[in-house]
Amino acid sequence: MLRAFSTAATGMSAQQMMVDVTANNLANINTTGFKRSQIDFQDLLYSKLRDFGAEVSSGIKTPGGMEIGSGVRAGSTVKVFSGGELVNTSRPLDIAIAGDGFLQVRMPDGSLRYTRDGALQINADGELVTAMGYSIEPSVSIPSNAVSIDIGKDGSVNVLDDSGAQSVVGTLQLARFVNPSGLSSEGDNLLAETEASGTPITGTAGENGFGMIQSGFLEKSNVQMVTELVNLITAQRAYEVNSRAIKAGDEMLKNAIQIAGY
Amino acid sequence: MSEISAQVGSAIRSLTQEFDLIAHNLANVSTPGFKRRYNDFSKSLSALEQTAGPAENSRKPANIAVDFTQGSFIETGRTLDMALCGKGFFVIETPQGPLYTRNGAFRLNENGQIVDMIGRIVAGESGPITVPQAAGLSQINVAADGTVSAAGVPIGKFKLVDFLDKENRLTPAGLNCFAAPQNMDSEPAVGLVVKQGFQESSNVQLTEELVDMIMVSRLYEANMKLISKSGETAKNLLDVAMS
Repeated sequence: MLRAFSTAATGMSAQQMMVDVTANNLANINTTGFKRSQIDFQDLLYSKLRDFGAEVSSGIKTPGGMEIGSGVRAGSTVKVFSGGELVNTSRPLDIAIAGDGFLQVRMPDGSLRYTRDGALQINADGELVTAMGYSIEPSVSIPSNAVSIDIGKDGSVNVLDDSGAQSVVGTLQLARFVNPSGLSSEGDNLLAETEASGTPITGTAGENGFGMIQSGFLEKSNVQMVTELVNLITAQRAYEVNSRAIKAGDEMLKNAIQIAGY
Repeated sequence: MSEISAQVGSAIRSLTQEFDLIAHNLANVSTPGFKRRYNDFSKSLSALEQTAGPAENSRKPANIAVDFTQGSFIETGRTLDMALCGKGFFVIETPQGPLYTRNGAFRLNENGQIVDMIGRIVAGESGPITVPQAAGLSQINVAADGTVSAAGVPIGKFKLVDFLDKENRLTPAGLNCFAAPQNMDSEPAVGLVVKQGFQESSNVQLTEELVDMIMVSRLYEANMKLISKSGETAKNLLDVAMS
């Protein structure tokens, strides 16, 4: 059978994966703190039909060889951690991280997750939580008599109470990874530590390479619609052309079978 | 009669190989840093047409070569995507020895070392390039000569090599890499520019491959017709003899 069939099939499945990744990016074009994924391809192994420098006739060696590749595979997907646009919301509990760093989120089972989505809320117990209701680590409690809340560039949470007194009730801490692309996506804008990401390094916003906290802003998704649409078209056409290769191969075989039937 | 079928058989074999090659190029139309393969089959085909000699001539093997022309640049904006502009390669360290690649879609591993897509170390001029923990991903900067700095401090330089005019002796090793034959040494690359935030696209040209594909399938068809015709002639001959 033609090797080309399976080769073109690898091309089609790789392009299909590219469409899947692009579709997910496009679906999250308005998701706060979302980071686009990029898929990178690799060529597959080659079968050697003739070695380089093989002797073709006595004393004559070929300058080249004969190797036919077997297609492509999706090497890996990687998150692109370029900053998204910061959009002013004027809501004091909306925060954006201008630079590197993640907010730490404590899950109900006690494990930690990481996010760049800073649309914070206050729950019934007065605790700062994410939009999904998971508490921020280290936890910050807002006293019930608070009138206004202000989050500083270093993450300090300042509260003005009804008596007019101002106090710092806690500080948001940021975490960073040596390889943020190695974090696994857990949905709900949350990321989890993996073997590949390395262990988290925690610190204060604005120090040691951590980004500053911008209160009243949200970081939009870093998905660029035009880029994604271009990727989509490219993937679609590449898919099409690979399916053409299968069709052409099919016609070749059909020709051969017709001869055999003669 | 047998001569025709031998020649046609050899042509069909070569055409099938050519077709496999085109399918492989098409499958890699989106692989960063991929270099298209081509073979000098067309040349051996015209030789086949000219020499009505023994069938051995037509079975002369064709060579598959790599077309190392520069692909275009695609901006990805990712800190660890590098494209090479000019002749040369990045060096990937593997237990089996160094491999060479133009695919600069790099990653960091859990130790902060710069690695390729599947985690093999990318060689620096003095060992692996390690990004210190204190520096964030966005603070990595790569200069045109391949010097990597984190938060303004140089932390290493990509090892960039070139094989000058011996490039065509490199053999594809899969996973975007080329291997060099044992007795071939690399030279430090000259005038090679590293572009950070870009990927070099595959240099496969869709139209070119499609045209080749159509040509191959038509030639295949023609060869098949030839077999069919020669069979018909033989049948007619037999019919005449039998009647």
